[in-house]
Formats: sequence, C-alpha cells, structure tokens
Amino acid sequence: MWEQYSYGILVVMVAGVIAFLALARERDDLHKLLLLDLVEIVGLGMIALLGTDLAEALILPGLTVGIAELLALSQIYCTKEGIRDRPVRGLNIEVIAKADAPLILSIFLVAYGMVLSGFTGGGVAGLGLVFLFISRTYREDLNLLEMASGISWALWIFAFFVFMFLPQYWFVALMGAAIGILLKVTVKMSLVGTMWGEQHD
Amino acid sequence: MIDLVGGVPLFVLEFGDELVYFTPYTITLFLLALTFTVLVLISRPERQIDIAFGSDAYRAKEISVDEMRFRRLMAIACGLATMGAMVTGDIFNFTLFTAMVGITNVGIVAAVKSKHVQDAAYQYGLVALAATVPLFAGAAIYAAVTGSLSMIELMKGTVPAVPLIAKGMLVLGVIGEGMAPFYAAKAEMFRAPGAPYVIMCSLSSLLIFLRVVEIVMLG
Repeated sequence: MWEQYSYGILVVMVAGVIAFLALARERDDLHKLLLLDLVEIVGLGMIALLGTDLAEALILPGLTVGIAELLALSQIYCTKEGIRDRPVRGLNIEVIAKADAPLILSIFLVAYGMVLSGFTGGGVAGLGLVFLFISRTYREDLNLLEMASGISWALWIFAFFVFMFLPQYWFVALMGAAIGILLKVTVKMSLVGTMWGEQHD
Repeated sequence: MIDLVGGVPLFVLEFGDELVYFTPYTITLFLLALTFTVLVLISRPERQIDIAFGSDAYRAKEISVDEMRFRRLMAIACGLATMGAMVTGDIFNFTLFTAMVGITNVGIVAAVKSKHVQDAAYQYGLVALAATVPLFAGAAIYAAVTGSLSMIELMKGTVPAVPLIAKGMLVLGVIGEGMAPFYAAKAEMFRAPGAPYVIMCSLSSLLIFLRVVEIVMLG
C-alpha cells in the first residue's frame, strides 16, 4: 500500500508541475483562474490517495474551500472587468431538447444515485436532474423543490439528533440521514442547475 | 517535550475530533488576535483626506456605508479565523483556518471599488488559491506518515518523524495564504479609505506565520 501511495504522490506532483508551468506561461486572467482550479482538483488527489475514511472527511472541506475561493475570485473578476447581467439560458441545442436521450440518461443517473445513497449518491442523482433540466427549455415551479430540500435537510438533522440522544435506534437514524442527504444534495444540485442567471423577484 | 517552541501545553480540550490546546506561546498569539478583532469591532472608520500640495485645499474621499460594513464583516471574520488557527491542535483544522484567513483577506482587499485595487485582489486571490494545494497536500502527508493529525500526538514524539517535504509544503502554503500585506501595499491599501480594517490583513498573516513555525517544529 505504501508503494502505491508513493507512486500516486509522484503522479500528482508531476501533474502539479505541468499545471504550474502552464500557469507561469499563461497571461490571461480568466485562464489563470481556470488552470488554478484544475491544479487544485489534482492537489486534492493527494488527500484522496490516503484512501481512508479520514481522507474522505478531509476532501469535502478542501473542496468547499476551493469552491469558495473560486466563487470569490469569479465575483472579483466580474467586478474588475465590468461584466454584469449576462444570464445563461441552458443548453439551446435542438437535438438534445427534442430527443429522448437526456431523459434516459437522467433516469439512469438518478437510479444509480439512489443505489449509491448518501452524499455521493445525491451528487450523482443531482447531476442527472441538472442534465435533464438544462437540456429541456421549459420552466419548472421551483418552490416545491426548495421545500423538498428544506424538509430533507431537517430529516438529516433529526437523524443526527437520534444518533446523539437515542443511540439504540441507530439504524433508523442511519437510514434517515442517508435518505435525507440523498434528497437534499439531489434537490440542491438540480436547483443550482436551473436557477443560474435567472432574476429573482 | 523539552524542545517545544511553544512551551508545555497548559490546557488541552479534546472534544470528539476537535482538539484545542493553549501553550504560553499560542495564548499570546490568541490574545493578540482577540484584541485586534475587538478593536476592529469598536473602531470607527476613517476618511482619507488628500491635501493639495502648496495650497490650503484638501479633499475627503467618500466611501459608502455598505462598503465599510462589508469590510468590517470581513475583518471580523478574518479575526475569528485567525483566532481559530491560533488555538487549534489539529493540522487539518489549521490549514482550513489558514485558507479561511486567505479568503477573508481577499474580501478585505476586494471591497474597495477601484480598478487597481481589484486587480491586486484578484492576483492575491490567485496566489491564495494556488497556495491551498501545498497547504492541504502537506496536511495529507502529515496524516499519511504519522497516521494522526493531532499536534498533541506529534508532541509526544511516539509517531514517526514527519518528512521535510510535508513541513515544506505546509510552510509554502501558509506563505501563499499570508501574502495579503504584499498585495495590500501594492494597491496602496494602507493609505486607502477605510484604513482600520486593512490592518487585519497584516496581523493575520503575521500570526499564521508565527503559528506555523511552532507546528513545523513539533514533529
């Protein structure tokens, strides 16, 4: 196992060096940001190589910090370049919008996500829904989704309270937490997929 | 336990996987961060006055209340993150707090709505984002080699020695995150309107540099 870890680190380092070389040659601000995000994902590989539960717990905050910095920097970029108000209106590709393929792919992803369950499953299922929403152009009523997200979050928290105060019912809590986080992440991701660039009133 | 930079821990709190401890060294740093956060909380923003050379004329720069409020929020968040970085006894929590110091510093600098300040903030943000890579990677190698992220375990000297590359990466990451004063100076932030908040950049960088020295000397 130790050997593999060393090789893995070597690969990550080589990837990092390549990415930083590219960064040193790049002159465009936006491309620099994109390259850095790429480097960061590779860097997270170094934590992932630990291959333990601890590593999984460490990747999430690492990813969150990366996304937070990415969002902050994108905002600064928009401000400094004076870019504003350019709503994104989904993928306007006629072939995708008319065909059945997005639906089939989405069903597959959602089903697979439910099998995976938990946070990862939520991510996969959410991706399926995002794909469906951006390939269709019609509008959904998002209030229902927002409510589902809130309720599933409450379920997740409730499960944690069961863990803390009634540990003998751990199985119920486990199921509640798994389903809650699955729904929550799925719904949140699909909201992210549909709400971008829209003006809220 | 003899050659500890920070001295022997006076107080250790282990709450689940959250680990907090105080040594004489970290108490000093923590109190410094706390004092400055309170100062930021109660101090009133200044208005920059430019005096035209050779005459009696002067002009005051107007800054909107919203901008001030945002910078105060960022300065307080920066103070809290610094305090966290001072007292935590967990390597990964330290890196997270350091990354948060970096983000809040970006926020403090970027709140000024002028082109050259925004440029400096963006460049600093890129450096901070790049620095998170060695920062987290260093912590990951710590965990891989010693099997623990606890600084108390490192102090005991029972775990394997931490390789130099992990320490180097940790220091490199902290240097990158703590670059804020350089960019703030580059953007002439210290003279810029709303001066009291920008001092938090310098203070937080100084404190995380001092803390990482202690951490690197541990294992």
